[in-house]
Amino acid sequence: MSNRTKNISTGWVATSYVLLIIFSLITILPVAWMIYSSFKPMGEIMLHPLRLPTQPSWDNYRKAFKYGNVVVSFLNSLFYSGISTFSTIFLALAAAFALSKFSYKGSRVYYGLFTLGLLITVNSVITPLFIMETTVGIYNTRLGVLLPYVAFGLPMSILLATSYVHGIPDALIEAAVIDGASYLQIFFRIILMVSTPVLATMAILNFLGNWNEFLMVFTLTSGENMRSLPVAINSFAGRLNEDYGLQFAALVIGTLPMFVLYLVAHESVIKGFGEGALKE
Amino acid sequence: MPQLTKRTSYYTLLLPAFIIYIAVIIFPIFMSFGLSFTEWKRFKMTGFIGLRNYSEILADAVFRRSMWNNIQIMLISVLGQIPLGILLAYLLHRKWVKGDKFFEFMIFLPITISSVVIALLWNRIFSPVGIYTTFVRMITGNPDYVVRIFESEKFAMIPILVVLLWQHTSLYMVIFLANLQRIPNSIFEAALLDGAKESTIIFKIVIPALSNVIFTSSVLAISGSLKSFDLVYAMTAGGPVNYTFVMALYLYLHTFTFHNYGKGSAVSIIIVLLSVGLISLVRGVYAKAQQRYE
Repeated sequence: MSNRTKNISTGWVATSYVLLIIFSLITILPVAWMIYSSFKPMGEIMLHPLRLPTQPSWDNYRKAFKYGNVVVSFLNSLFYSGISTFSTIFLALAAAFALSKFSYKGSRVYYGLFTLGLLITVNSVITPLFIMETTVGIYNTRLGVLLPYVAFGLPMSILLATSYVHGIPDALIEAAVIDGASYLQIFFRIILMVSTPVLATMAILNFLGNWNEFLMVFTLTSGENMRSLPVAINSFAGRLNEDYGLQFAALVIGTLPMFVLYLVAHESVIKGFGEGALKE
Repeated sequence: MPQLTKRTSYYTLLLPAFIIYIAVIIFPIFMSFGLSFTEWKRFKMTGFIGLRNYSEILADAVFRRSMWNNIQIMLISVLGQIPLGILLAYLLHRKWVKGDKFFEFMIFLPITISSVVIALLWNRIFSPVGIYTTFVRMITGNPDYVVRIFESEKFAMIPILVVLLWQHTSLYMVIFLANLQRIPNSIFEAALLDGAKESTIIFKIVIPALSNVIFTSSVLAISGSLKSFDLVYAMTAGGPVNYTFVMALYLYLHTFTFHNYGKGSAVSIIIVLLSVGLISLVRGVYAKAQQRYE
């Protein structure tokens, strides 16, 4: 019997290796190809698409920085993702504290409305949002990008934060109330302090999502100096661009910041998506 | 600082988030619904036209193709990404391989890359100077081979579906892996001691234990599939001809190119209705499946 189990296992071990290696290779090969091709001139890419660069050069990157408005869009991306992530997780935690520790009847309704937002996609509101922003005068402004980023981050963040704050012992809060602390003080001194694990998860999910977001910046801004990295890359290195070297450099620039983050914090990123995306 | 009452504190904490959420998400949904019955000409609303936007959209062959393409994306998500995600998660969970952390790291990497970059990269892979083309040339010995098949009506969606499978399978893998770790190891050991096959373990233990997560994943996959825009826009922009059009692209065309906000909104509402319908369908299937297991 032990022999039989062992045989079954060998088959599965082999299958595992084959599948996992195939899946890893179809990530490694394209990404490696993209990176080393970005150091090749156009002519060499045409003649020897797969060969490593014979004389690696930074030319493509120089061109990308010169024509692609890369620095401005990089800073925009950082601004949009950073500010919106900070605001989302702060507002979400505050709302989560209210919803899970105040035991008011209305809380269920508010919570239900927030979680409904998980199913609403940007498509369903983009036309009215465009009209509203034009009317109010925040179309093509950074605020006009930040507000929807925050709003679309809220449902998932509130879901995560509520389930976390719910687990904080009531005794902790009651003791502070008896000591005469106000609820806002409790929020800043206790809830905010003990919630760092869930804040980290929320920050990762929101930052990554907003960094790679395309449609809202694309439709709610028009000026070149308002663009985020994905939109800038698409417009100067998009489908119709014929300078392959430049295009590869642009793609690497678009990938690098998140790649570095992933390299440094992959365990938290994977944990964030795994446990964050689907809490029951 | 004067002490706020409990009720005031409650609203101080809750309302900032709630107001932004209502203003940006809930209010526009209703506005979309209202707009979908209106006619627009030259940036101006010219009147109320009842259901005409809807009937025009549903009669449009381009929209019907878009809808079918979205359904294909949904099928590859629910029937491709999720089962593959379960399989990969299980293989990693059983720790049969050395370096499982490395595999996890590599397979999950695409999630951190923006869809625009992914789209342009894969376009290059299939282009005449791409990995795929060069590879086929080496195997077949035909130095002039170029990828033409995806220009045909029948196969145009294939590259998009392949890339989506590659891009998102790892998300489900990671979700299932996190939830598999909550199943006590003793259950697997007991089953193995009883001589259960791995396939039996997958179908009789893993899938029932994960059924809730599979359901929520399917809901996310459906609503995600119906909204796909970035990847398709950057990869093909709906072409060749309109073979790879999706509903979000159709919406974009009417709202932002033709400035027909009525029609654009009607497309939004159709997407919402379709999404609600499909999710209810999955909910029904899920309820049936649960009855059978109990």
